[in-house]
Amino acid sequence: MKVLVTGATGFIGRQLTLALANAGHEVKALCRNTDHPYLIKHPNIEPVLGNILYKQSLARAMDSCEQVYHTAAMAKMWCRNTDDYHETNVTGTQNVLEVAKTCKVQKLVYTSTCGVWGPTIKHPMTETDPRITGFPIAYERTKYLAELEVQSFVKQGLPVVIVNPSRVYGEGPITDSNTVGKMVSGYLKGKWRIIPGNGEQVANYAFLDDVVAGHIAAMDKGITGERYILGGHDISFNDFFKTLQQVSGKQLSMIRIPLKAIEIYSRLEWLKTRLTGLSPVFLPEFAERLKYDQKYCSSKAVTHLGYTITPFVEGLQKTVNYLKESKNNVFEIKDRRNEDNESLLGDHKTNQLCSN
Amino acid sequence: MQQLTAIVTGASEGLGKSFAIELAGRNMNLMLVALPASGLPELASFIRKNFAVTVYHLEIDLTHTESYTEIFAWLKEQRITAHLLINNAGLGNWSWFEDKNIAFYKMQIELNVITPVLLTRLFLAQADASVTSYILNVGSLGGLFLVPKKQVYGATKSFIRYFTKCLQLELYGSNVKLSLLSPGGINTKPELLVMNNTLKGISKATILEPEQVARIAIDGLLKGKKEIIPGAVNRFLVLLNSLLPAYIKDNIIKRRLNTILVS
Repeated sequence: MKVLVTGATGFIGRQLTLALANAGHEVKALCRNTDHPYLIKHPNIEPVLGNILYKQSLARAMDSCEQVYHTAAMAKMWCRNTDDYHETNVTGTQNVLEVAKTCKVQKLVYTSTCGVWGPTIKHPMTETDPRITGFPIAYERTKYLAELEVQSFVKQGLPVVIVNPSRVYGEGPITDSNTVGKMVSGYLKGKWRIIPGNGEQVANYAFLDDVVAGHIAAMDKGITGERYILGGHDISFNDFFKTLQQVSGKQLSMIRIPLKAIEIYSRLEWLKTRLTGLSPVFLPEFAERLKYDQKYCSSKAVTHLGYTITPFVEGLQKTVNYLKESKNNVFEIKDRRNEDNESLLGDHKTNQLCSN
Repeated sequence: MQQLTAIVTGASEGLGKSFAIELAGRNMNLMLVALPASGLPELASFIRKNFAVTVYHLEIDLTHTESYTEIFAWLKEQRITAHLLINNAGLGNWSWFEDKNIAFYKMQIELNVITPVLLTRLFLAQADASVTSYILNVGSLGGLFLVPKKQVYGATKSFIRYFTKCLQLELYGSNVKLSLLSPGGINTKPELLVMNNTLKGISKATILEPEQVARIAIDGLLKGKKEIIPGAVNRFLVLLNSLLPAYIKDNIIKRRLNTILVS
């Protein structure tokens, strides 16, 4: 079967193209640069030059494809031009849906995020739970708006299934959106030493292989217009670093930074960005998020899609092994865009503490 | 202390949803009212699951005023006295006067004017005079400033301003505290999320998140503040409003209008 994957060089999209290719599908991998180092070379993967902002290129890519996985998104924590989030995530998704409709694509899977729910109160969020705060984080806001676009195309008869991964970690390159990878690799290098607040803040960590399998299952079994949370385990920062220490064998003394200090620092960073245009290390909307847990429940996907969750220790062990092995290979090539993110806390941004 | 019960209208989305969550977080029981098919049962069950409060919910169209007596009759039957009324339900818009039909304006005036007046009347009739009761009327800074394309909306909010201020005088010395909430822009509906994020400078600084507004509003209400204006920039604008000559104010509003027209 011919399948298009947008965002084929992204953290999820990349692994998805490989899984689909290994399953024998003819995979068209949409990317803005067909020489991209993260693009997987495989006899079943055909790189297609294109951009979700240009419908013509999408139409060429989608031609004769029966299925489309739309994973492309602006998922980094900050970009110079804030309109980029809306452009890529909302307009880009609109374009994909429109072209899919004209090309009579049989089914689409749209990769959203648990960030459309964001913070939780006591119990893990399920698909029917409401969002309890506004949308100060541009990524979450535009992914929510994109979901509304999907729903309006579903009403017009386009078969789209939405999947909502939580904070994804696993064996893959350190892209802008692979926030856990940045944290883990920073720890391995001895550069990441901070734990925010008392470290009891909980987030949900989903293993990449599970999320990729969840995408494929959503294509097979997902019901049009439904959303499926593809999550993992709810883990606190304390437990995260305890497990990381255990699986990596590396023991760092961690520094706990009070939330109030992080908040003040984030305001200074905001001011710095406003005045100088330099990229911020941390922003107030992320400092605010550190006050909340982000717990999500994948029961619906488990029941209806046969979604499975890899134990966190096992997933993290694989991730650590992967990052240790790939230390000197191609995946260490950093995105040039990443380079202006050099920060006071070393070369790792701290915004990844809160992202999904 | 006895657990208080709050009625919140327009509770399923936006500011109403934030009020519901804020009040639940302050250990108050809830009677949530919103339109059918707006996600109210899901919100109610979420709050029941996450907070130790009782939540009733009622899916009705508040433009049907005949249903109001039913709400209070039902509460009486359950032996529940409501201690707080949050008159939040309202219908906003941003359009030239000719662009909406008469049915829309009728509905807007009913929901923004008639509904809070009648609910306030019925609420006061059942209030327990031995404990403090609270009413929060959601107005708008639009009830204070002239904003083009908000002609009817702003007028309904001016009505709420007068109504609330006048009733505050009438109820002076009683056990009822009445507050007027005058927020600026709030990031609620999807179209506002898009529009508000294209704003720059001062205009952007007037916009708040719904949970911030709800927290500030309930704080103010329980303290018995007469008027609650969330956001330092908004309070500053209100101060300026009383000091600045009219032509400068016009200029500010026009600039904001232009930013939005361009986007």
